[in-house]
Amino acid sequence: MSRLKDNKQLRNGIIFLTVILFVAAAAPLLATHDPFKLNEDILAAPGSKYLLGSDGLGRDVFSGIIYGARTSIMVGVIAAVISAVIGVVIGGIAGFFGGKTDLVISEIINIFLMLPSFFLILIVVALFGSNLFNMMIIIGLTTWTSNAKLMRAQALSLRERTFIKAQMTLGKSRGRILIEHIIPNGIFPIIANTTMNISQAILLESSLSFLGLGDPNLISWGQMVYQGKSYLVNGWWVSTFSGLAIVITVLAFYLIGDGLNNVLNPKLRAKK
Amino acid sequence: MSLLSIKNANVIYKVKDTEIHAVNDVSFEVEQQDSVGIVGESGSGKSTLAMMILRLLPKDTSVTEGEIEFDDRELLKMTEEEFDKLRWTELAAVFQKSMNALSPVHRIGHQMMNIYKVHCPNVSKLETKKRVLELFRMVNLPERVFHLYQHELSGGMMQRVSIALSLMFNPKLIIMDEATTALDVITESQILEEIMKLQKELKLTRLMITHDMSIVANTCRKVAVMYAGCLLEYGLVTDVIASPRHPYTIGLLKSFPNFKGERAEIYSMDGNLPDLSRLPEGCVFAPRCPYAQKKCFTCPPQTVTYENGRQVMCHFEGGNNGIQY
Amino acid sequence: MKRFLLKRILSGVLIIFISLLICFVLIHAAPGNPVTILAGHDNPSPEMIESLTEKYGLDKPLPMQFVNYLGTLLKGDLGYSIVSDKPVVTLIAEKIFPTLLLALTGVILAVVIGTMLGIYAARKKGSRFDVAVNSISYVFDSTPGFWLGLMMILLFASTFKLFPTAGMVDLRAGYTGSAKVLDILHHLFLPLLTVTLIQIPRFFRIARSSVIQIMSEDFITTFRAAGMKESQIFRDYVFKNAILPTVTLFGISLAYVLGGIVIVEIVFAWPGMGRLLMDAIMKRDYPLLMGIYLTLSVSISVTMLLVDIVYAAIDPRIRYE
Repeated sequence: MSRLKDNKQLRNGIIFLTVILFVAAAAPLLATHDPFKLNEDILAAPGSKYLLGSDGLGRDVFSGIIYGARTSIMVGVIAAVISAVIGVVIGGIAGFFGGKTDLVISEIINIFLMLPSFFLILIVVALFGSNLFNMMIIIGLTTWTSNAKLMRAQALSLRERTFIKAQMTLGKSRGRILIEHIIPNGIFPIIANTTMNISQAILLESSLSFLGLGDPNLISWGQMVYQGKSYLVNGWWVSTFSGLAIVITVLAFYLIGDGLNNVLNPKLRAKK
Repeated sequence: MSLLSIKNANVIYKVKDTEIHAVNDVSFEVEQQDSVGIVGESGSGKSTLAMMILRLLPKDTSVTEGEIEFDDRELLKMTEEEFDKLRWTELAAVFQKSMNALSPVHRIGHQMMNIYKVHCPNVSKLETKKRVLELFRMVNLPERVFHLYQHELSGGMMQRVSIALSLMFNPKLIIMDEATTALDVITESQILEEIMKLQKELKLTRLMITHDMSIVANTCRKVAVMYAGCLLEYGLVTDVIASPRHPYTIGLLKSFPNFKGERAEIYSMDGNLPDLSRLPEGCVFAPRCPYAQKKCFTCPPQTVTYENGRQVMCHFEGGNNGIQY
Repeated sequence: MKRFLLKRILSGVLIIFISLLICFVLIHAAPGNPVTILAGHDNPSPEMIESLTEKYGLDKPLPMQFVNYLGTLLKGDLGYSIVSDKPVVTLIAEKIFPTLLLALTGVILAVVIGTMLGIYAARKKGSRFDVAVNSISYVFDSTPGFWLGLMMILLFASTFKLFPTAGMVDLRAGYTGSAKVLDILHHLFLPLLTVTLIQIPRFFRIARSSVIQIMSEDFITTFRAAGMKESQIFRDYVFKNAILPTVTLFGISLAYVLGGIVIVEIVFAWPGMGRLLMDAIMKRDYPLLMGIYLTLSVSISVTMLLVDIVYAAIDPRIRYE
């Protein structure tokens, strides 16, 4: 536990995240306006009526940012979890089964690593429809490689351990050993990496939204930056504050992920 | 005449707010052309002592005290420049994990020549190469090693490279820190044979750091037993093995199968190394000592010197209190 | 070495093939097609749709279409853009230089600056400089490139009017010669700064941690014990060992930047492939989309191949693995 306390990244990250989660949960209480409502004041500067100003259609920026937290966190978490599940299963099978299976899967992982993933995400979202569901699925489907690599390494070292060998000798099926022992014992680095992946997913979602490919039925920070882009000169606040919200949220997950990595990897920590 | 004389050596590591006393008041002398084995468990401070002599401890986290006299010069008082001249030319080392003794992405010959040039910058390339090849011959390495990389050699061969490297300038003292631990038994004994042969030919003085009492018994003339940063017993190998006087040495010898192979039962000592950030008031070994008395927990023992330079640090040494070991 | 190269080239070709296949399947499986867009929205006649579909071979089964595409591709023909009717090669050729200029200089600058900062921070580990750069690197790593670009425009272009907000050349001025080069550099500055700043943290962190790791390796102790000067140890041994992860990262980063540069290009209205790509996507211009995708895949494969060669040249262990 003292390690947790000593780890500044982790501590700061958790503080940030707690605030963000609170904001997302209490959005209806915190928001000063209905984020969708078109008020009569267009491009009002930040002030007492509109805390962070209003946008080109008269919507309150502060309330938009508050509700936008929900979208970002949802996309980030679900996409990263999809990516973790795929990565753990594929990497676990490769590392634990070994041999030809491992060779084939490793080659597939290498090919996937080389694919221009942002490009693929862009094409899928643009051609199949810009909705949250498509976005989360495709982000998850293109970012699992790092998880698979980590899980493969974990499985490779775990299968040499005595307790796994004992299970094999007892004649338990390999699939069950994988699910009951290999994955639970090797999951920690994937948890740290998944936290990092949440950051990546949030950035990807905001990039797509910025290109005008966001889900039109939801409020997202990327879209707010995109809409504010046209008013950069007379309404700098729209893009600036919504972008800042992205930075802070991504930073929070990023710090936690990095902090977890340091806590879990004593070798790395000693060298910091 | 002694080549190396260590007096009241102390090393304290400062990590955050804690001070770790890694070496505590160690004093002993090493004669010219002698061979001394330093034994102890991991954490006993034996490697720290070696790094102290070589002045390789991290400057920002460690404090050293005491005197180390080497060939009539005070090592700890020399400036960095003065000491650099002494490095490798008079004071060389073979470190543990010789598989990583050199850079993996440079050729072995190139690195050895580069080290040669540190102290002999004006010698021609050809001469330098000749010297490196000569060193290879001394340790039974083929010439082709010169053009190879570290990963292309076996553990035993890399060990020989490390030894060849340490002999480069005919140093007066060689410190070998767990030099053969990673090798298989056959290669280990071959290399130990060769080391002893080279020591005679080159008139070297050798300090051998190991956790393996049998290596010391077979290859050294003297032995120093360290525990929790303290030197508990020091003396001729023949004396110490025949009649150990410190309870820790007795335990240590018991934990190895008898050298004649008679005893199958292996003894293990209870307890663990003490916390080096909070040294006990009395004897460091008292908490684990089967013979400890009240005095042992309250008052630190003095080191007493006997015949043949034998040193023992124990209150009840030599049966002078009628304690039966 | 020859076998190593051959193997890498083959796997590069395989990756390009698989990339193309995935892209082809994706765009043809997606709803919507270029013919309806071409034919216009006002009651297109069924005859027109039929003839257009036939013209572009869209009536044939998918595997046939893919084989046909590969066939023409092998002849060096990327086909014609459905929307503009120009050869895809020409369209891409017009736009590829600005993209490469921005991406390559951005990544190279980031490598140089990030690595230097990383090495310096590692050697002064725990110093104020180290802590400061480390913290800043986290922030830039969390910043979306498009937003950073907008902030650059807001700050340096709108407020201080130091740099132009958009484009690559000032069309009205009609510069030639060295004046034109200067004008391009002037326009390049902000987008380049954006790309570089976003990339620096990765190179900073990898250089820092790898120098720290190498400095703690056993062989460093050998050189120190031998009396070698710290500066020589660093120059001759630490650097070459510590640069290896950076080489790998360079390849990955370039691939990443080439894929993601679309956004920065759009922020700064940089006349590269970004706009072209977005148009191709919106108008379902299959041949153009495939062409851009192919260009990207080939660039990535070539970069990876170069990275592998450089790596193998530095690290003797690689040839034997």
